[in-house]
Amino acid sequence: MREAHVVGAGQSKYGSFPDESYRSLFRTAVENTMASVDDGMDVDEIDEAVVGTLGVGGRQLGLPGPAVTEHVGLHGVPVTRVENACAASGYAVRQAVQAVRSGMADVVLAGGVEVMTDLSGDAVRYWLGVSGETEWERMSGTTFAGVYAQMASAHMREHGTTKEQLSHVAVKNHDNGAKNPKAQLGFTCTLEDAVNAPAVAEPLTLYHCCPTTDGAAATLVVSEDVVEEYTDEPVRVAGVGAASDNVGLFQRDSYNSVPASRMAGDTAYERAGMGPEDLDFAEVHDCFAIAELMSYEDLGFCERGKAGDFVESGATRMDGDLPVNTSGGLKSKGHPIGATGAGQVVEAFDQLKGRAGDRQLEDPRVGMTHNVGGSGGAAVVHIFEKEEVDA
Amino acid sequence: MTRGVLAVGAYAPANRVPAEAFEEAWGSFDAPGVETKAVPDADEDALTMGVQAARRALRAGDTDGRDLEFLSFASTNPPLAEEDLTPRLGSYLAVPTDTTRRTHTGSTRAGAEALFDALEADGPALVVVADCPEGEPDDSREHAAGAGAAALLVGDDAPATVADHESFTDPRPGTRFRQRGSDDVDGLDIGTYDRAAFTEPVEAAVASIEADDDFEAVALQAPNGKLPYRTNLENEAIAAVETVSELGDTAAASVPLSLARAFEEGHDRTLAVAWGSGAGATAFLVEGTAPVEASLEGTNELNYPGYLRRRGDIVGEKPDGGAAHVPVPTWRRSLPQRHRHESGVCPECGAVAFPPDGACPGCRSLVEFDPVEPALEGTVDAATTIGQGGAPPEFAEQQARQGAFGVAVVRFEAGDGEVSLPMQVVGDGGAVGDTVRAVPRRVYVEEDVPRYGLKALPQD
Repeated sequence: MREAHVVGAGQSKYGSFPDESYRSLFRTAVENTMASVDDGMDVDEIDEAVVGTLGVGGRQLGLPGPAVTEHVGLHGVPVTRVENACAASGYAVRQAVQAVRSGMADVVLAGGVEVMTDLSGDAVRYWLGVSGETEWERMSGTTFAGVYAQMASAHMREHGTTKEQLSHVAVKNHDNGAKNPKAQLGFTCTLEDAVNAPAVAEPLTLYHCCPTTDGAAATLVVSEDVVEEYTDEPVRVAGVGAASDNVGLFQRDSYNSVPASRMAGDTAYERAGMGPEDLDFAEVHDCFAIAELMSYEDLGFCERGKAGDFVESGATRMDGDLPVNTSGGLKSKGHPIGATGAGQVVEAFDQLKGRAGDRQLEDPRVGMTHNVGGSGGAAVVHIFEKEEVDA
Repeated sequence: MTRGVLAVGAYAPANRVPAEAFEEAWGSFDAPGVETKAVPDADEDALTMGVQAARRALRAGDTDGRDLEFLSFASTNPPLAEEDLTPRLGSYLAVPTDTTRRTHTGSTRAGAEALFDALEADGPALVVVADCPEGEPDDSREHAAGAGAAALLVGDDAPATVADHESFTDPRPGTRFRQRGSDDVDGLDIGTYDRAAFTEPVEAAVASIEADDDFEAVALQAPNGKLPYRTNLENEAIAAVETVSELGDTAAASVPLSLARAFEEGHDRTLAVAWGSGAGATAFLVEGTAPVEASLEGTNELNYPGYLRRRGDIVGEKPDGGAAHVPVPTWRRSLPQRHRHESGVCPECGAVAFPPDGACPGCRSLVEFDPVEPALEGTVDAATTIGQGGAPPEFAEQQARQGAFGVAVVRFEAGDGEVSLPMQVVGDGGAVGDTVRAVPRRVYVEEDVPRYGLKALPQD
């Protein structure tokens, strides 16, 4: 099985862009991606594309893949649309790795796009409802925030996690996002801001929830056979793991963890021959603050039930032992559903290439991305390693 | 073998609005004798109240819905003007599909008609009478309008029997009517004509009964708290079992509710008189008493704006949309789960699955599950509150009318195992560790079709 490497990654700015279309956002992401390749690449060198998206402005499109690839001049290649809710483009990257490793392609563009701010708040809730368990959970009157709030209630009850500890996630991620020029919410907040913000779904406040976002992100995954044509310092895909679980929280064994994350993480570690102790940083799925805390435990960053203490200790801040969400995460950077997973890979690529600007970590070698679909029905984890290719 | 009433169940919504609230809002209150009235919650209607009463009657009679051979439903205000609601009612109660069913409506006498229908039937029968009339906010009928339900379990060897019954009719159009397509009860308000349309048929029907007039209890139809006392019947006997002063005008359910109260208080000789606009009356003499399980208490006092919110007068329409729409045929396939939380036991490993299809959650085998119904009481394992404006759009109207609500994952015992379900919590209560009870409520109305399910009611 061939090795797969990331040689380029880029994204649009995340936010609300009334004058942009999903195609133009994707074009920006692809242009930035192509520009990020050390030794350059032309669009016609791409063999295949995989595009993650849930819908465009609440609309369902049958062929969003070709719609965006034709727009960037990618003609005639196979294009697949991947839909796994918020994990759509994380799975798109995984599919690109599969295509490369299997020998079916040497250069694959994997990305995603979403336009969410065209819709009223009501319509967004209608639309996002399709990503949850629609026949039972949705009919109980709950939303995504509600399901994650239920997880938070169970975590608090079981492990004594506090609202302040949830708020530490928001403070950290806003601190990081303020240093990211692509972030949607580039401001900082205090612990008091986060604790005392209006409740969205108890115990989650506004600062414990990510915004709705427009944006696009893309990556270029290439085989070991051609990687030297593009860079001397590729980012190797060291491990990939993915897993699924019951879509409904009520059908799972645990309400205070995301088992699919744990399974995906275990697989990624095993394939990479690494463990959490080998990571220099991680981008995890923090659609809600409790999601980030559960990821610490599911991915082995800390013991089960200790995530609250772990974030409070500062371990996941930029200067901590394991910086998490240096991009600002979904909380500050934004969460354009179909683009989120690929956007995490953009941050990992930038960190490993030393291009993360004011939020650059000191010589990181190994980073992880962790992308969750819905409230945990799907999860995908990638481990990336900075690697030098012999000249 | 004497056929009669074996047991009775009664239910009223927890919301009450006092007469003073109307006086403050309107300067007067036009329903004499009504001190408070019961107000259906935003997700309650005649069907959900009827199920509540039916469950109580079955429990009081130590009977299972599966044993019923006859089921009837009576209401002047069914949630749908045309649709037989007994299939949905029966589904909640697990009544066999071949059980005979009847629906009675169109008159406040419908409850009495349903009872006599059941007395003529064979086998265990359940008569469910539920009502929640409405009117224009400034109308005397709306000031009186209440809500409640009673269910009468009918069968052989009954402790309470109907010794005699007589009817009388005399055409009096315009005294109480509801136009086609309207939700509001109306009337011409012609003083003496209206009063005579009530008193004369009532008195004529009672006069036909072969009995002396020594009644401790008179369960008399009560359009308001004054009209019953305009008849020549004994005032004290009427006052002894009336419900109109605390529940308001419960229309077709008025007489069955008073009958429940008579049984509850041990009266073993009760005169019941059901009046219906048109006009007509049916009088019947009930001898003996039957076990009663009733919950008629009001625990939530509403102010006038709160009352208007529950009615839906001051809230907007739900937004358009439908991305997560569940079509009616899909919904219909899951009715045993919606109405009774029917689950399945895996024959291979014994794990309990909800819903009972697909792979077993325990051993992952594709099996045919054995049905099992979870207990009605369960424990909250995860919970939150969906605040104002935060609900999915399908629930926006309910939230506007009712306020914030809780949602929870609730664990119920089911056979030898347990099963967990997502449930909306009635009100904004429900914390991890709380005990809740599954109660019938309307989930929402989409494509003009009401969808019914179970919600969780916190228990003290």
